[in-house]
Amino acid sequence: MTEPMLSTDVQRPETTVPPVTSQADARIRVNGLVKRYGTLEVFRGIDFEVGAREIVTIVGPSGCGKTTLLRCLNGLIAADEGEIWSNGTRVTEPIAGMAMVFQHFGLFPWKTVYDNVSYGLRMAGVPAAEIARRVPHFVNLVGLKGFEQAYPYQMSGGMQQRCGLARALAVEPNVLLMDEPFAAVDAQTREILQFELMRIWEERPTAMVFVTHSIEEAVLMGDRVFVLKGRPSSIKETITIDLPHPRTRETLREARFAELREQVWSTLMSEAREAEFKLET
Amino acid sequence: MTDASLTVAATRPAKAPAAKFLSGAFVPRLIAGVTILALWEGVVRAFAPAYVAKPSGIVMAIPKVIVDPAFLNASFVTLSAVAQGLAIALVFGTMIGLLIGRSVVADRTLRHYVNGFYAVPMVVVLPLFSLWFGYSGATRLATIVFSSLFSIIVNVADGARAVPREYVEVSRSFRAGRISTLLEVVLPASMPYFLAGLRLAAGRALIGAVVAEFFTAIGGLGYFILYNSRTFHHNEAFVGVLLLAGFGVGFDMLVNGSIRRFMPWYRRDEAAS
Repeated sequence: MTEPMLSTDVQRPETTVPPVTSQADARIRVNGLVKRYGTLEVFRGIDFEVGAREIVTIVGPSGCGKTTLLRCLNGLIAADEGEIWSNGTRVTEPIAGMAMVFQHFGLFPWKTVYDNVSYGLRMAGVPAAEIARRVPHFVNLVGLKGFEQAYPYQMSGGMQQRCGLARALAVEPNVLLMDEPFAAVDAQTREILQFELMRIWEERPTAMVFVTHSIEEAVLMGDRVFVLKGRPSSIKETITIDLPHPRTRETLREARFAELREQVWSTLMSEAREAEFKLET
Repeated sequence: MTDASLTVAATRPAKAPAAKFLSGAFVPRLIAGVTILALWEGVVRAFAPAYVAKPSGIVMAIPKVIVDPAFLNASFVTLSAVAQGLAIALVFGTMIGLLIGRSVVADRTLRHYVNGFYAVPMVVVLPLFSLWFGYSGATRLATIVFSSLFSIIVNVADGARAVPREYVEVSRSFRAGRISTLLEVVLPASMPYFLAGLRLAAGRALIGAVVAEFFTAIGGLGYFILYNSRTFHHNEAFVGVLLLAGFGVGFDMLVNGSIRRFMPWYRRDEAAS
């Protein structure tokens, strides 16, 4: 690991959470990850750690392998080289303690909100009584109280993703993987959901890897922002976001926020124009 | 959204019956039906011998036939055999279809056999079945199962292959077992294909039942039709034909009713697009 990301002194002036520095604290550890599709190398040399109460956001241009990386982390697809460790387990398939929120929500249309939220719990073998106790809690937490018996087709995109979030939270994971979770909802809803997620996270912080192509979202949500780019892509830059928690609408107005957004923007855009006008070889 | 608006969204607004009759396909459908019946009646009256079935004769025959114990018994025997055969085909067809659709090994092993049997006309296996099972209800049941099984397998397998990748990923991400994924994710996701297969299977099952009765002279609705046409009771035979058609329509209505009742999330217009 050569990148400055190892010296992860995440500063959180307003919280009691200690900065993530030691290896023991890491909830996810990724070493030398490489993924290929045939001869095409998607990414290579991916090394990072995510602390137990840290939000890492990954930004990068379309097709840079952000989602592929996340699916590797979840164990849905296998990397070609390198290792992923989480909770003392090497990840080769989905493990307990991790949950993913999907870009297109991934709700089962034939299940109600209640049944979608309880799905993960049932698959984990949680007793029925415990499920009946936990599901309403998480349905309330994401603001879907009263919609337990609604089907996904009856709900707006925002409500559907709230349901997707509740389903992931219900299994009480210590690692949350977010695959562009708000990309498929409209701009206003997106903003609401971002702050909802931050509110929920403050209540019960976990390690989170959040993939997005929105720079603003990456800076707002992240304790560190990884800029993924190149072909094959790798983590070109790690930007520590030293904005205080909790992050709220106020955060958006801070001068430091604008500075950091500019920093991520210039890192990301330095190649974007070149990439846009490059012909495929 | 309140609970009330959710309920409204779930059930489509019902038009007033009169408006539905006039605006829908009802009028053209009625005109077409009446025209066909009038043509039939006219041609038979003008050119055919008296025993040939005609709409008026069939209508006259209905009250007599539908209280005839022989007809009632024959109908019950045949339709319950169709129901049994369909149930058997449904259970096994779904299981085999899911297996073929989700397992490459099963697909490679079985696909040619399934497609082969699907293409075999049931008439040609009937002599074999009557040798194996005798001239009894078992032969009819076997023919019904044979006729309907493969259309369910083929359709369910297609549906299982076409399950969106995201659903399967969600189930894997939440560490669902294979069987659970199959029954809770793949099966409901293949519902449109499954229902298409079921509709096909119902039609083929009826054909299977009637063909078996025609060829082996096992008592039942098919035999009732055959016997009456051979003894120049064509109008009576046609009442049996009408019952078969009614079964087809009724089954379709039953399927649609169950979809509305038990699968509110499944909307045909959406599935079709």
